[in-house]
This record gives sequence, C-alpha cells and structure tokens, in this order.
Amino acid sequence: MSDAYARYGPIFRPRVLAIVGASASGVTPGNEFIRHSRAMGFDGRLVPIHPSAATIEGLPVARSFAEVGETVDFAYIAVAAQRVPDVIASAAGRVRFAQVMSSGFGEVAQGRALETRLAEAARGAGVRVIGPNCLGVYSPRGRMSFIGGATGEAGSVGVITQSGGLGVDIILRGERRGLRYSGLVTLGNSVDVGPAELVEYFLADPDTRVIGIYAEDIKDGRAFFRVLREARGAKPVVVLLGGQTRQGRLAAASHTGSLASGAEIWRGLARQTGVAIVCSLDEFLDVLLAFQTLVPHRRRPTRRCVLFGNGGGTSVLAADAFGRRGLEVAPMPSPAIDALAALGLPPGTSIVNPIDAPAYTLRHDEGRIAERILDIALQHGEPDAVVMHINLPVFIGSADQRVDVLGNLVDAAMRVRAKHPGQAHFALVLRSDGAEASERRRRDFRNNAVRQGIPVYDEMTNAADALAGVAFFEAYLAARSA
Amino acid sequence: MTSDIFFNARRAGRTVLDEPGAKRVLAAYGLSVPRGVIVAPGARPELDGLSGPLAAKMISPDASHKSDVGGVRLGLADAASATAAVREMEALARALELRLDGVLVEEMSPAGVELVIGGVIDARFGPVVMLGLGGVFVEIFGDTAFRVCPIDRIDAREMIDELRGAPLLRGARGRKPVDEARIVAALLAVGGEGGLLVELEGEIAELDINPLIVSEGSALACDARIVLAERKTAGE
Repeated sequence: MSDAYARYGPIFRPRVLAIVGASASGVTPGNEFIRHSRAMGFDGRLVPIHPSAATIEGLPVARSFAEVGETVDFAYIAVAAQRVPDVIASAAGRVRFAQVMSSGFGEVAQGRALETRLAEAARGAGVRVIGPNCLGVYSPRGRMSFIGGATGEAGSVGVITQSGGLGVDIILRGERRGLRYSGLVTLGNSVDVGPAELVEYFLADPDTRVIGIYAEDIKDGRAFFRVLREARGAKPVVVLLGGQTRQGRLAAASHTGSLASGAEIWRGLARQTGVAIVCSLDEFLDVLLAFQTLVPHRRRPTRRCVLFGNGGGTSVLAADAFGRRGLEVAPMPSPAIDALAALGLPPGTSIVNPIDAPAYTLRHDEGRIAERILDIALQHGEPDAVVMHINLPVFIGSADQRVDVLGNLVDAAMRVRAKHPGQAHFALVLRSDGAEASERRRRDFRNNAVRQGIPVYDEMTNAADALAGVAFFEAYLAARSA
Repeated sequence: MTSDIFFNARRAGRTVLDEPGAKRVLAAYGLSVPRGVIVAPGARPELDGLSGPLAAKMISPDASHKSDVGGVRLGLADAASATAAVREMEALARALELRLDGVLVEEMSPAGVELVIGGVIDARFGPVVMLGLGGVFVEIFGDTAFRVCPIDRIDAREMIDELRGAPLLRGARGRKPVDEARIVAALLAVGGEGGLLVELEGEIAELDINPLIVSEGSALACDARIVLAERKTAGE
C-alpha cells in the first residue's frame, strides 16, 4: 500500500514541475497553472518549457525537457493535440508523470487515432500520462492548483474525477460547504493512469480519510473492483456515477469517448465493497462532508435518528425524507420522553421524535434550552444519529434581538456533541431563506461547526442523503466484521 | 477438465453449447444436474437406471430454444412413455428438417422454487453473476441481483436478500422455506473463487441456468445454456 503512496506521490507533491504550453504574452491554461500554483505557495522548481521565450511569468524558460537538467516529477501539457505525442516522446527518461490537458482525442471521433498514438508514445517513452482532455491537479499540500478561488487549505478528502469541469465544481462548491481536500485529480479520457491506481494512492495516503470518485466509464473496471474489494472498507469511498440512463450514456459517449457500465453491476459492486453510489453533485458533496467529519460506526450501522428543531411541517417532511432513505425516525424510549416532559416545555412542543420545538420554545432561557433537550435525547434516546435543524430567518427577523439566540443554539449543539463523544452522529441543518443576513450567519456557523467535526447541511433532505451514505458504508462494515 | 467440451463445440462450428454439454460443464464445477441419458438418433433408449417422472428434450443445433419447436416433453411417467416421446421427437425433427444430435431423457426435479442463475462476461468488470427469481419474476419484474465475480459467501447471501421476492423463499404465503445454503452453494459454484465464470472467462460469453429448482432435498440445474466467447482463431 505505501508503495502506491510513493509511486503516485509525484502527481501530488512534485519537486520539479514543468509547464508546456504557457505563453510569454497571453494567458493560456499553462499560465493559469503557473499562476495559481504560485499563489498557493508552490515551493519546488517551476520550469516553463518554450522554444523561444526568454521568460514566462517571470520564470526562466527551458527549451526542452532535456534542458531542465533534472528529472521532471510532473509535467503539465497544454499544447495543440497534434503536438502532444511528440512532446511525450521527448519526455522519455526525463519525466515521471505528464498530465495532458489538451482536448481533441478519443472524446471526438476524429481524435481516436491521435489518442492511440498518444498511448503508444507514453508506453514507448515510459512516461505515465494523466488525461488527455482534463484540467489539472489540485493539491493543497503540494501547493499546486489549476484553478483560482480555492482556499488552498489542506484536508482529508481525496477526489478522482473523469470530468475536469465537474472537478472545478467539486473544489469550489465543496469548499464552500466545508470540504477540505487532500488532493483532486482530473483524469479525462484516462488513456494511461486509471481510477484504480489513484484509488490505491488515496487508500495509502495517510492524509486522506475519504475518497470521492466521479466516474463515467471505468475502463479498468476489473482492477477498480479488485482494489476496492481488497481494501475491505479501509476508507469510505463515494462514487458519483454518470451515464446511467440511455441519454446519460449518449452524453458520456461524446464526453469521455466510451460507454458506461450497467447500473445493476454498479449496484452489486457497491454492496460488495461498501462504496456508496450517488447520482447528483450535491449528494456527492453532502456524503463526502459526512465522512470528512463523522467517524463511522463499525458495528452498529446508523438507523435510529432523532430529529430536533423548529418547524412542524419541516419535521414531518424530514421524517418522510429519512424514511425514504431507510433511516428510522421512531418514538424515543420512555425514559427520554419522561425526561423531556419534565422540562415543562410550552404547549405546541412535540417531544416524541421528531422533537418539534417552535421558535418560542427554543428562545427559552435565551436558547440554552436546546442543550438540555439534546442532552436528554443523547442520554436516554439511544439514537445512532441526531440532527438538529434551525430555520434561521425566524430568529434573524424576530422583533426581539436582545440576545443572540441563534448563536446560543449553535453553541449548545457544539457543547452537547463534545459532551457525548462517539455516541451518535451529530449533524446540523441550518435553513435559510436566501436573504443575505441568513446566508452570512449560515456561512459563519458552518465554518465553525465543520471545523469542530459537525457537518452542516442546507436542508433535511441533504442530511438524510448524507447519513444514508454513512449508514450504507457502516452496514457493509458490520456485515463483514461479524 | 471441460476443455474438450469447448474444443469440440468450436470445432463443430457451434456458438452455443448444447444442453448436455452445458450440464457437463455445470457438473464439473460442482452444480447438481438431473440424472439422465442421451439417446442417439434411432438408438434403443436405455432408461432402466432412471426413475419417473421423466423429461425428454430434443438436442439440436437448429433449436437452441427447444420448447419453441415442441422439443420438450415433461411429466413422462415411466421408461415406456419416455421411449415413445423419444420416437415422437425424432419424427418431429425430421418433419421440421432439424438436425438431431439426440434426445436427452432426464429425471424431473421434485417441485420447488424456481430460480435463475446467470452469468455474463462484462467488457469492463469481467465475469458478473446474476440471481433472479424464476418465471414471471425475472421476466416481467426484473427481480434480479448482480455481483462482480468472484463472490464470497456473504455476497451470495446478500444477493438472496436483495430479491424483492425473497420472502417467497422464506415461507411467505404458506410455502415451505427453502434451504438457502443450497442457493448459496450454487451461486459460489458459478460465481465464486475458482468457480465456473472465473475459470472459464475466456471460453464463455454468457451462462443461463433457468430454472434452478430448489426443493427440500436438492437444488438442480434443470436447464442450462452456455454461449461461447467469440474467438479470433478457434482452439486458441
């Protein structure tokens, strides 16, 4: 396993990084890669390769890989597709990994022959090729990035994506949701380095805790299965699967140049390996966030959930959403109900589960009542997971702003969770009306909570999706450890 | 141990193994098949070792879906009625101008739950095994579970659990529960480590055991079809 960590390490932590296709005057993807990596603080050697320019982005230029004078760990290649096979041939013995971002290969009919030539050039040169038709690598610890606007903060989520554009969404939208990455690789057409190999890398990477994969077509499906099978749930893996319907497959055919495998086979593979399969970007990010923050229960898969928050209809719809995902929202045992009854909460408060506490109940004791309710739920409710939901604008728009009830509610959640470690998963749902005031508070709460290991979701359905993904993985672990 | 079956079938230009050939392959991998004999065209049926009720099935490369041409007779009480069925089938083949390799006469399975076990070599994932509930369940409701090979015992059990019709195996509607260990054993023989699909990946393209009849005392592969893998050069 640590073999794979060393073998693919240069992709994520190159000491010598060469860029082919950056311009002395304009801004090409090659220039983007240089600028964003420098902005991230890349501290290895960065060498643009260009036939004539003296400097690019203020950096001294080499004319060829040979002229670099030492082995290039990672070469980023963004030149016209026709030139790529020759560039790869010239990399023989001088470059470990080359990422070809150029398009015009197997994803279009007239590029198939060129893709074959690229594969042959790579084999002939002994250079491992990533791509073509992709965007780049994002590695906060290696301090490199192909896009701007990312936080650059290192985390524990490793991502492999067969679509570069979706990789951008995963980084930017994911970071806004609190995800922090150990690395993200866009694989494009996967002419050489395939998903299975990078799964091996992330399994071996001590910084990676959960692996996310966007897959349209896994050409090395057999190896992919074997790697996951042998891992036996060592780390959770979430697969966002594209091309599962006829029209999706047609889109994928023009996208990555081949057809996706059958949904039934994937469903079987998921059961055999514990891999959670999702079918939307949001669900993908939601489940990844759960695995980033929560510690899976190895023996007792998540089933019993306690929901607590304000909004009667929200509670009912949430119970439905959780039920549809196979998560149980059932009345708590009587010691819990008795203890909640003893709190003497105002009428209109339902204490059975979901615990539906209107805003005026939550305002009780300036919001600290939430702590006592959650305490009881955790102590006597025997939950596998507790989800607390707050409708932010109800508090933000209240006529009574003497105390920060919202702040107290969220603090209560964090304190209670710290008080009962490892007992039940804890998730927070902060519901917003989209107004700037709500969004701002949610952003602040989210940053804080996620840092402390509490995943924060926009809606109860998102929390249900996320916990269902965790429960699926836990059920796999439990079935295999019995 | 089964290579001669595939070699001979390919040499004869076949793309599908006939039923006796497919059943020999199944038996070689530990699956139970009904006891039976092959009666060569025109030969005297030697059915003394078989006990009724019997089934007679036409073996013809021109009728791989033999029931479509009337090439299957079930519930034959004894050797005498089976012999008569063999002669009728020979006449039928002549009338329809079908090549006849013989007639397979077999003991019939005791009544039980009908399952389907299938296999396919997927271009991406390699050998894949399928379990389905027989008859309308598989055909109309698509009640199936797939797994990538090799499967283990837990996978096999989870495949059974995954069928929507699983309660029918476990005694729903007054049925007797079936012995699930027999289904697990059959699944492992087909899709397990060292099983048929893994070992014969290069020889076969598809496998269909339909039905596998699971009764109180047995799980018998009562009919089977094996489609050969396409090869660039035969006998490679």
